[in-house]
Amino acid sequence: MQLARCPTDDWTNHSSPGSIVLDTRDLSKVYGRGKQRFEAVKQVCLTLHPGEVLAFLGPNGAGKTTTIKMIAGLVRPTQGRVAVMGEDPHRQPRALRHIGAVLEGNRNLYWRLTPAENLDYFGVLRQVPRQLAHRRGLELLARFGLEEKRNTPVQKLSRGMQQKVAIAVALIHNPRLLLLDEPTLGLDVEAGEMVKALVRQIAQEGRAILLTTHQLDVAEELADRVAIIRRGRIIAEQSTESLLKEFSGSTYHLEVDGELSPQQIHTVTQLGATVQGTQLTYAGTPEKLYALLGALSPVPLVSVQRDRADLTQVFLKLVKD
Amino acid sequence: MIDLLYAELKRTWIQFIRYPTEVISGIVIIMAVFYGLFASAQYMAGPGFAFGDRLDAVVLGYALWTLIISVNNDIAINLQIEAETGTLEQVFLSPFGAPRVFLARAFASLALRLVILMVVLLLLMGISGSRLAFPPTLLLPLASLLLAGYGLAFLMGAAALVFKRVQQILGIFQFLLLFLLAAPLEEATGPMQYLRFLLPMLPSTGLLRDLMARGLSLDWFTYTLALLNGLVYFALGMLVFRWAEATAKQRGSLSGY
Repeated sequence: MQLARCPTDDWTNHSSPGSIVLDTRDLSKVYGRGKQRFEAVKQVCLTLHPGEVLAFLGPNGAGKTTTIKMIAGLVRPTQGRVAVMGEDPHRQPRALRHIGAVLEGNRNLYWRLTPAENLDYFGVLRQVPRQLAHRRGLELLARFGLEEKRNTPVQKLSRGMQQKVAIAVALIHNPRLLLLDEPTLGLDVEAGEMVKALVRQIAQEGRAILLTTHQLDVAEELADRVAIIRRGRIIAEQSTESLLKEFSGSTYHLEVDGELSPQQIHTVTQLGATVQGTQLTYAGTPEKLYALLGALSPVPLVSVQRDRADLTQVFLKLVKD
Repeated sequence: MIDLLYAELKRTWIQFIRYPTEVISGIVIIMAVFYGLFASAQYMAGPGFAFGDRLDAVVLGYALWTLIISVNNDIAINLQIEAETGTLEQVFLSPFGAPRVFLARAFASLALRLVILMVVLLLLMGISGSRLAFPPTLLLPLASLLLAGYGLAFLMGAAALVFKRVQQILGIFQFLLLFLLAAPLEEATGPMQYLRFLLPMLPSTGLLRDLMARGLSLDWFTYTLALLNGLVYFALGMLVFRWAEATAKQRGSLSGY
């Protein structure tokens, strides 16, 4: 599953340019020269459509943050191009109107200002007229359940609330693309769930979201698609569902409520199952599974489960290969 | 752009006023240093010595020095603080572009610093017995002085973007500034009377001393040269800052510190 080159430049192959929020082509970044030369990102191609959540996964130092920063116009690519709503943030500063970002390891906010003051300030910084920025800020505070804290300096808020304010600030100019670098890092369970719910809501509004995370359960829950990067190169990119399916086995685990008769045990063994008390394991074709279920009748079934890989298993397998 | 200026003024003011002890202690330190210098000079000169007109020039030179130090360090120190606290990259995500944002910030912090300068000057006049004049024409050389001052501030900001840790350079720079601002080179003879027009801010500080301490009227020819000096240093600062931004993005070191 090696994806070295971008798909064709012909937009008509998959979708029209208008329906693409983010498109990166052969994005590469090289640091240093001579012996110090280090290729941090190699020919990364990503596309994102409205309402889509793409989880960008990879081990530490794989090139995730560099890629996100190249998309946001903060790091200049050595090669390749970025288009956000058809505009290049490195050449056209107005492209930044389409981008909202919450960057990792950063507080992203002025701690001496209150949430309302941060929203007012960053709204204007993103070229939203002052009055409109104020109105939107109040709406976002209400929506994110921060009304009561609107006049509390950010430094006095909990980490979860600060993260909510940072996401609200990233949305103040109504961007089409939201970049979230480790949005749930350092949050407790409740705050993490809250941020996940917000990410879902924001995607439902039609915004494209590119998120990086080391918490693979978060990626599995939120992402429509997954891109895995290793040593600067994307090694897998497809829908979360198909990726999980591809790495899932075809073994079924069945549990029955009661003892099977010797005749039943003989029949299911003939069909390819192994029996251990009330537990059965079957690795045959799906068609024979129904014959197996028939042979178990009338003993009540407790569960029928197919082996399913989770994203952690897929990730570990891919990055270790 | 007006909205941006307003937003920067509001942000600067809120951040300044939210912790008033910092403001008061800053002014107290400026006053204490001056009083120390003033008392030592009087001690060295002996009890019979009178400063006369020179006192006004010294007070003005010191007040300008404190203003220009804060102006010069403004961009570099804030860049460094924001890189550490994590807001710098958010600022660079503005569609206005970094130079315009930092220019608006410079105006906002200047407004604040001019208010502080007035407070400091009034207090210094109270301590030293100096009586400075404030003719309206002094705004002209003050503007050319600040143009050159902000030119240097953008150069320092550029250094902070590219080299990151610049505290030591800033520290040394403060003493260079003392020379540029306090030395009365407008009274110099020989080549220095011409060379001073090439050094940043020097022609403007000479004019300010003429207006505020010596009671002279504005010399328009000298002022034209002072304005040119301010414009050239300001343009140079902006150009180098743009280059530094591009270099930091190339190196991927915008948020490093």
